[in-house]
Amino acid sequence: MSDAARYSAPRPWSALIMRLLLWFVLIVFAIWFLLPAYVVVGTSLKDLDEIRGGSLLALPHELNFSAWRHAWSEACIGVECTGLKPYFWNSVSMALPGVVVSTLLGALTGYALTKWKFKGANLVFALILFGCFVPFQVVILPMAQTLGKLGITNTVYGLILVHSVYGLAFTTLFFRNYYVTIPDELVRAATIDGAGFFTIFRRIILPLSPPIIVVSVIWQFTQIWNDFLFGASFTTGGAQPITVAMNNLVNTTTGVKQYNVDMAAALITAAPTLLVYIFAGRYFVRGLTAGSVKG
Amino acid sequence: MASLTIKNAVKRYGHVEVLKGVSIDLRDGEFLVLLGASGCGKSTLLNMIAGLEDLTEGEIMIGDRVVNDVHPKDRDIAMVFQSYALYPTMTVGQNIAFGLEMRGVPKAERALRVEQVAKTLRMDHLLDRKPAQLSGGQRQRVAMGRALVRDPEVFLFDEPLSNLDAKLRLEMRTEIKRLHKRLNATMVYVTHDQIEALTLADRIAILKDGEVQQLASPAEIYEHPANMFVAGLVGSPPMNFLDITVEAGEAGPAAWVTLRADGADKPVLLDLSAHTARLDGYVGRKVVMGLRPEMISQGTTDAGQCVQCEIDVTEATGADTLCVLNWNNQEVLARGTSGYTKILEGTMDFTIETERACLFDPESGLRLD
Ligand SMILES: Nc1ncnc2c1ncn2[C@@H]1O[C@H](COP(=O)(O)OP(=O)(O)OP(=O)(O)O)[C@@H](O)[C@H]1O
Ligand SMILES: [Mg+2]
Repeated sequence: MSDAARYSAPRPWSALIMRLLLWFVLIVFAIWFLLPAYVVVGTSLKDLDEIRGGSLLALPHELNFSAWRHAWSEACIGVECTGLKPYFWNSVSMALPGVVVSTLLGALTGYALTKWKFKGANLVFALILFGCFVPFQVVILPMAQTLGKLGITNTVYGLILVHSVYGLAFTTLFFRNYYVTIPDELVRAATIDGAGFFTIFRRIILPLSPPIIVVSVIWQFTQIWNDFLFGASFTTGGAQPITVAMNNLVNTTTGVKQYNVDMAAALITAAPTLLVYIFAGRYFVRGLTAGSVKG
Repeated sequence: MASLTIKNAVKRYGHVEVLKGVSIDLRDGEFLVLLGASGCGKSTLLNMIAGLEDLTEGEIMIGDRVVNDVHPKDRDIAMVFQSYALYPTMTVGQNIAFGLEMRGVPKAERALRVEQVAKTLRMDHLLDRKPAQLSGGQRQRVAMGRALVRDPEVFLFDEPLSNLDAKLRLEMRTEIKRLHKRLNATMVYVTHDQIEALTLADRIAILKDGEVQQLASPAEIYEHPANMFVAGLVGSPPMNFLDITVEAGEAGPAAWVTLRADGADKPVLLDLSAHTARLDGYVGRKVVMGLRPEMISQGTTDAGQCVQCEIDVTEATGADTLCVLNWNNQEVLARGTSGYTKILEGTMDFTIETERACLFDPESGLRLD
């Protein structure tokens, strides 16, 4: 900032050129990134004739939502022609409990690890942190066995359990790092006032947590909603989440390839996470950079 | 109200011994100040009384109940923290009422008591604010209110004034003093400010490296410090320490001191006959003489031995003007006249109250008795 001011003051022309160059580069990259999105949205609004006849980049003649309707409620996935609708609700009923459970547990473990330092707390944290680096492929076989033993293979509950467990490493990390900035004296004062472990958590710590809760919720929702691997591994048929269903929809081709339906299906699948980012994205950044509590 | 007894309290973190056997006995209603430099274990001791830290060894009694294994909430103590530790998401009123709520006090009574305390501390207009909307002094008051409302047996304060500016600190100090008088409660107060300690305490415990150096009244500590550490810690400006060799004078023990006067070094024999008994057996040996600046005052009086010496520099502090003198090639602080009424420079008369001097053994640092 100060550098730019210092150098540009005596030479306005070169500064202008630099500025234009900068804009140019930014615009090129913006187009680079936005073009695929544009093609997806545009194609989903065209009908098949238009797709075949026109250019990939041409604007659709009219806003035609029939491909969306088809993808949502009529398209064939495997042998069932139900559209994405039931799978969408599968994903919702998997993601919401998964997010709530992993966020709550992460908050609790983060709180216990920072404010109730027990012997070996740091080791426990290190081990939990290790969970962030374990590739999910590694755990698929043992997890399948575990789910089998528990009798929840091929159910939404199985997926909720899997996502809660594997989300815990990240949510614990978030909450632990946030809670170390909360002064221990708050907990000490509350202890003397007569509050116990859970009362302090509920009355003092949790009310201070909204910024990091937002971070955890966004992160977990995105992870769980977008997950393909666990969904494809542990469920079949009607219990599948939307990501797996969408993949099957695209691969189920009888006759002509319906590009517009595929694109609409992809957009429907991505919509919830997109919406979450659009509405809560700035809280995400704010929460990640939130500092300690004063007063 | 209750007495407080600490018996041989030891605290170790791994191999580090933070408290090395502290024993303190507090009467019911007494105001004890724990004074010491940073890191000497004051907060640790306070936290052990509160029950926030376990004792490694020893025993703590409140009244005649051993509380080693009693949960903090059941010890009937209240604590004011250095950072105040106000609950940020609660209003002032909720902050003060929280302890009562946790103890199941009915809502109506809670409101009544909060109001009473708020009146006492003159903050009834702040009850609906959040801590972030308060000034430092107001936060401090809320922290006090939170302790007061519980009406505990023992109050614990961990450097409650150290985050305030000088003027507010003075005000709150008086307020705490007044509070103690009114409640007549047992209080333990941690500070590293010796003025706070001297003004507030019934008794002061001076800690160094986890050991009590002296436990006595402020007057006793000021006039008869147990050792050089205590003597140097308490008093502002600090005590002067002079290395002297005890000689046998005509009237009793004496010591030569080289004073600078009229541009030349001049040996003067200081009369220490008031300390004859104390210096028995020290003739010919080195001792450390401690003189507080006010024991060396400008002018000629019959309170002590008069000498002439040259003033190196003066430091006017308003009420007092301090003179830096040169004795034994060492800087010595003396008290000049009060105010700005007289110009102090050149070689002038000073009266040394050798009778009040403290004498220390140079090896052990202990005061000679
Ligand atoms: N959990 C701990 N583990 C190891 N050492 C500790 C721990 N807590 C405190 N100490 C050590 O104990 C000593 C005393 O700490 P304490 O907080 O009681 O000092 P203090 O007298 O209150 O100092 P200050 O005036 O700075 O508050 C310090 O040297 C500190 O490093
Ligand atoms: Mg401390």
